[in-house]
Amino acid sequence: MSDPVLVIGAGPAGLQAGADLAGLGIPVVLVERRSELGGAPIRWKYKTLAPELRPTEEVMGPMIAAVESNPLVKIYRGSVVERISGSAGNFRVALHTDGAGARELAIGAIVTATGFEHFDASRDPRYEYGRAANVIGIHELEGMLKEGRVVCKDGRKPKRIAFVFCVGSRDRATNAWCCTVCCGVSIKQGIELKLLLKDVEIYNIYIDVRTFGLWEQLYWTSMEEHGINFIRGRVSQIFDTGKQLLVKGEDTLVRGPFEVLMDMVVLAVGITPGEGTAQVAEVLDLKCNTFGFLQPRHPNVHYDSGKDGIFLAGACVAPMSVEEAILGGSAAAMQAAKFVGKSALQAAG
Amino acid sequence: MSEPHATGLFDRAKFAASAKLTTGTTEEYLRMLERMRELERRDELLLHHVKDSYKPVSVHTLSRREKRIPTVDLWQHKSCGQCGHIPGYVTALYWIMAELGVPFVDDTNQTSCTAWNYYGSGTSNPVALAAVFARNMHAAWQKDAYPLIHCGTSYGDYKEVRYLLVTNDELRGRVRTILQKLGRDLVIPEELVHYSEWLHVMRDRLAARRQLDVSKIKVVVHSACHCYKLMSEDFTYDDTILGGRRPAPITSVALALGAQIADYSNWYDCCGFGFRHILTEREMSRSFAYFRKIQPIVRETQADVLLTHDTGCVTTLDKSQVVPLAHGYKETVPVLSDAQFAALAMGAHPFIVCQVHWHVSDWRPLLEKMGIDAEQAWNEYREYVENVKRGMKPNFIQSPPRVHA
Amino acid sequence: MADRDPKPEEKGRFIVERQYIDDRRINEPKKLDAGGIDISGRWGILIEPRTITAFDHTLMHEVQSTPGGEFIHRCIQCGNCTAACPTAEEHPMFNPRYFIHVVRMGYQGELEKVRKYVYLCASCGRCSEVCPREVDPSGVMTAIGTAVRKAS
Repeated sequence: MSDPVLVIGAGPAGLQAGADLAGLGIPVVLVERRSELGGAPIRWKYKTLAPELRPTEEVMGPMIAAVESNPLVKIYRGSVVERISGSAGNFRVALHTDGAGARELAIGAIVTATGFEHFDASRDPRYEYGRAANVIGIHELEGMLKEGRVVCKDGRKPKRIAFVFCVGSRDRATNAWCCTVCCGVSIKQGIELKLLLKDVEIYNIYIDVRTFGLWEQLYWTSMEEHGINFIRGRVSQIFDTGKQLLVKGEDTLVRGPFEVLMDMVVLAVGITPGEGTAQVAEVLDLKCNTFGFLQPRHPNVHYDSGKDGIFLAGACVAPMSVEEAILGGSAAAMQAAKFVGKSALQAAG
Repeated sequence: MSEPHATGLFDRAKFAASAKLTTGTTEEYLRMLERMRELERRDELLLHHVKDSYKPVSVHTLSRREKRIPTVDLWQHKSCGQCGHIPGYVTALYWIMAELGVPFVDDTNQTSCTAWNYYGSGTSNPVALAAVFARNMHAAWQKDAYPLIHCGTSYGDYKEVRYLLVTNDELRGRVRTILQKLGRDLVIPEELVHYSEWLHVMRDRLAARRQLDVSKIKVVVHSACHCYKLMSEDFTYDDTILGGRRPAPITSVALALGAQIADYSNWYDCCGFGFRHILTEREMSRSFAYFRKIQPIVRETQADVLLTHDTGCVTTLDKSQVVPLAHGYKETVPVLSDAQFAALAMGAHPFIVCQVHWHVSDWRPLLEKMGIDAEQAWNEYREYVENVKRGMKPNFIQSPPRVHA
Repeated sequence: MADRDPKPEEKGRFIVERQYIDDRRINEPKKLDAGGIDISGRWGILIEPRTITAFDHTLMHEVQSTPGGEFIHRCIQCGNCTAACPTAEEHPMFNPRYFIHVVRMGYQGELEKVRKYVYLCASCGRCSEVCPREVDPSGVMTAIGTAVRKAS
């Protein structure tokens, strides 16, 4: 049997890669730094996935089950890759597991699927994130929606909720890129809030509405069926009155300032490369672009890291949706399979 | 006020410090300070150092740079607007220094910084502004006393002008020529110090001499644009005051005296004085001051007093209340400088020293709440004035004796 | 170029940058006294703030229940309607996209400025031909006209 393929990260991209490789009969070592599998959808308890608001379990359940049930997949939770040596086809990888210490493994090829972190909005002091009660991020709102309970800190049901788009995105002071999905995710959450809290008013304060491709239907539904309001403009300051949030900004179309009271403000916090990606880039000596994402050899071919035997998948390369991450995982798995297959042939003959 | 966020100290300040402005970014300012020292090394200018003899206390600025604030032997750089319109402002500061035994120099040989003229009318020119600045700084240096800037507008102007002098060789040359005609040299202060920064570092000593109980007084603070927004580096921030996210002066003094601080939604807004606005757009200034500052302050906090630290801010916030009240609006709050408030709390006479009767917005409820018998004090003041008219020598606040001549 | 607006009133004529301030916001008292001092006229001018302090959808709901106005809430402010509108070409105060926005959000100040221009709609229907969301802006214009008249 060939040396296993190491898959770093058990989010949608990594899980898909692991399942695909094992499905081809190739042994897999799946390493995940957290104690649970599933990446962002599980960590942040996504209730549903855009664009059709299908329950997250429909996708994540089978993916997690696929790796957990396949004997060809060896899973290391709470683990990180500390060191590699050797060369493609003959890697030696040092793993460290919380509470279990170090071990060394012989690895044939590597798939890097280290995913992303949400922008820490306390870095942008305008929005009082981390200070004002009831200013939360879209990642935190998902968990509340999943529990079916969205309330203010004092237990009150919010009547007016504002979403601020592009927090930690498209901004030279924080992150210069667009995170792709948070327009769609915010709108999705607005719809879910309308379904959960019957007479809530939702205000999406946006620069642009980038519901790409088939996600565009979310934009239509949110307005036509749910009466969600859209305000083109930016928020300059949030002041906590103690009871409500005074949201100050400008309505671009009126060229006029607004200062309105909201019960809750949700920040569409963008996608950033995250510590896991930075750490793995250093260990595997992978190039990162100026934004901190892993840089493939060619910008339009994500799986090719430019290094023999190492393949890239998912949001560690660029911000993307769950469906795109799954595709990326499969693509990288195919490349890894080709690679170890060729290595095996060479070794045999 | 909520507790400062443990990991968020200075974060708003850091955000402001990293802002990319066309001129006067924090980085540029810090580089200018380096160049200033280099010019000193090359004997191209004299630097007035914050020597140990001035007994300096260290604070942090926006960029966390350490700034030394002199505490004794101050050269009082007076404000034309204060001396002219708010005389209690400057006498309160002098009174506090005399009370604390802090020697100072009250030089009659000081000109106006002319910044009011520059900001207000757009007249004057960089050479004239810089020369006026340098001339005053030289006068202070000659007396071996460190310049303490009383006015926020002066302070902002001097930050700009010092930056230009250090970074522009031609300007420096031209100013030197002018100074030579006056028999003076080019002296630049190592630090530009606003008097409210001095009050900030002295706040515990002020509190130690507090006579009145101000624990029930609700204070709101307005910080001057010219102090902390214009060339935002260089003003004092403190981790323990407002979580290091807003300038420390004024607030720190009020807290040290035991008063309560209330927050309001438009803390960061200008008072409305603007730059040229008070001269050419006075209706806008007045309306802005009332509707964007006074009205929300009163509605949101019901504060007893609004404290600020600049001539223009005191004037605008105080006097802009007249017209709206005549229209029938109800919201009003007395406006004082931090110096006057501190002096009152330390027992200074409200009329002879703090001269609050020059202020338009009703200060009577404040004095009452502070336990001051305004009627009796007023009678004392009137008697004092009558005596002066009859030939009595007025009380001059004298500087305590200087240790170094 | 045709006359755009009625001449501004005489009030506020001493304000240096008068042309940037909306008439409605200038409060110039004919007779006012401050503690015995006459501050009538220019000395007592107050300029009211133009901050929007609330989003109010009452008028939008009214329009939605008026024939023609049912789909006002579909509008994404793309501007196809105004781009196609012949009246907007000629008259800068007529802007169907903008009217829809200020009605949806309940901006009273802006509404006051534009309400009389709503009736300039020629009902040509070109806007409704090009609207990507089938808002029927032509119908909405009529509905806004009705609703505004009812409200006043």
